[in-house]
Amino acid sequence: MTVYELSQNSQFNVLTLPEPEREINGAYVGDLLSWVMGRAQADNVWITIMSNINVIAVASLSDVSCVLLAEDVTLDNDVLATAKEKGINILSTSLAIFEAAVKISGMI
Amino acid sequence: MKELSLNILDITENSVKAGATLTEISIVESGDLLTLTIKDDGCGMSDEILKTVENPFYTTRTTRKVGLGIPLLKLAAEQTGGDVKIVSSTAADNHGTTVTARFFKNHLDFTPLGDIKETVVTLIQGHPDTDFLFTHQTQKGEVKLDTRELRVVLEGVPLDTYEVIVWIKEYLNEQYTLLSK
Repeated sequence: MTVYELSQNSQFNVLTLPEPEREINGAYVGDLLSWVMGRAQADNVWITIMSNINVIAVASLSDVSCVLLAEDVTLDNDVLATAKEKGINILSTSLAIFEAAVKISGMI
Repeated sequence: MKELSLNILDITENSVKAGATLTEISIVESGDLLTLTIKDDGCGMSDEILKTVENPFYTTRTTRKVGLGIPLLKLAAEQTGGDVKIVSSTAADNHGTTVTARFFKNHLDFTPLGDIKETVVTLIQGHPDTDFLFTHQTQKGEVKLDTRELRVVLEGVPLDTYEVIVWIKEYLNEQYTLLSK
């Protein structure tokens, strides 16, 4: 499944989608950025509730295919602009982290 | 980072890379407040660079090795209601950088200090030719280790000698045992 295909689901909203054709091969859940940095795999969807600029840096370093902000977490415009510039896909959802992970699990 | 001591290790490595001959690591605990200060006499940063160190994107993609150290320290401090301040100078007669981070220990998102003794030992072992002054003050007393004082006693024996490292570990353990009484 691609990030674009995931974004077509009505429960996921696009915040920015600079690389829609990135493949999704799994998911990683975590909010402690330094922990996620060493553990999220390339092409994972990373589900988190963190929303500062460091999220974009960690997403970039770990090469995840997309960041999914759960529980209606939003991003500041300048963070969003950086994500777009660095080619980091960001989706959001009102689902709680567990429900979001279960939903994705049923789709991939 | 799950422990503040890992943040301390990370930030202090920056000091060593900046060519510091002495790096002072101070932890002061007073009531709910924990203040961490890392002060070095390294090359310092220009105002221009200083403005960018809190943004990971001015750092991860260049050859300058600052990385996510400051951004993650800032995050750890701010999520307890604290803050990080960085003062730096490149002046020939007064160069160096001081990073001060304040944490509120009673906040739910406070990261525990972790194994600070191991961090200090790792730093000395990894950089035996530079000096470190480590102090940790609590309301019960103070732990202190100054590698300059050790050098005087050691008369040329390198700080990363096995016996010296073992001694430093025991010395820190003893002081922390007294502090916890």
